[in-house]
Amino acid sequence: MISECIVVGERVRLRPVGERDLPHFVKWLADREVTRWLAEMGDPPSLEDEREWHDRKRSDPDNVLWSIETLEGRLLGNVELRLVTRARRAEMGISIHDKTQWGKGYGTDTVRLVLAHAFSELELNRVELTTDETNARAIRCYEKCGFKPEGILRQHRLIDGKFGNTVLMAVLKTEWAR
Amino acid sequence: MGAVIHEAILEGDLVTLRPFRDEDVPLLHQWSNDPDVLRWLHLSEDPPELMQSLEAHRERWERIRDDPAQMSWRIDTKDALPIGELGLLAIHPSHRRAELGISIGEEPYRGRGYGTDAIRTLLRHAFGTFGLRRVQLITDEDNERGIRCYEKSGFAREGLLRQHRLRHGEPLNMMIMGALSEEWDSHGIGAGK
Repeated sequence: MISECIVVGERVRLRPVGERDLPHFVKWLADREVTRWLAEMGDPPSLEDEREWHDRKRSDPDNVLWSIETLEGRLLGNVELRLVTRARRAEMGISIHDKTQWGKGYGTDTVRLVLAHAFSELELNRVELTTDETNARAIRCYEKCGFKPEGILRQHRLIDGKFGNTVLMAVLKTEWAR
Repeated sequence: MGAVIHEAILEGDLVTLRPFRDEDVPLLHQWSNDPDVLRWLHLSEDPPELMQSLEAHRERWERIRDDPAQMSWRIDTKDALPIGELGLLAIHPSHRRAELGISIGEEPYRGRGYGTDAIRTLLRHAFGTFGLRRVQLITDEDNERGIRCYEKSGFAREGLLRQHRLRHGEPLNMMIMGALSEEWDSHGIGAGK
């Protein structure tokens, strides 16, 4: 399901992913520096792959997907919630694809907006995510937003021929509301 | 991975694992009617009328059967009595990992080593023939018998997922555990067969 709603924060706006975003995603996802942090990413996607990805997400009722852009309308990446409604939980996946815009607080603002939406609008109880153990910048961002580390999944992902650990983090509604 | 390998019948010391079939679905229905089975399953998140009919079990099974990332077996005693089921799910060939799920449906066979033997038998093949590097599972924090069995089978505790699911409406912590092929080999947990 592509989210119908537009959410505006202090630095970013979350809006539905459009066809016109896909060529930008393809360009950015050809860069290993960007994709090395994306757990499920295989070979760089073609435009056709990205269209299929977009269609799949659009028809999935348990998925909420937004494009992330600056308040001036510059596209940055995308963010999604994978819902497990019966457990009132979701898994978040976020990527600022445009690496020239890393470290500017766009990711943190995005995560805060998505959490507010998840807990207030979707009435979820828990939001979780996984990230590479060595992705210090992302882990810092998630901690700032209230996520707590809950476990280390050993040898969970194969990256550039080496097995690496994954950190699992989560934030509960009761913690977020404080 | 896939259909060819999944023809395999896996022999343990106490159990035989046979690929799960359409005609086995009534067993799932029968077993999940036992509150002591249902309690530990994700099915306990759903309203009973929604998920526990025979038809609902059949639909669930058909989704599993048609998903290339899942494989399921029926657990039989050596006398060919079906006592439960186990499966690999979220099989991820490029990261060489999968998740494990197991349920012993027949009460007299719980806590007597059948589940442990079934898991060891599957892990031996998961790490051997299938070439997996890691098998993980999550289980309810209060499932002490399950956690003991998983530890005996080669799993280590890796984390505690707070309020990860609802059991009949109540939030419940879950333990995540992982087994690695290199530990399996070096500790000889899989030895003896």
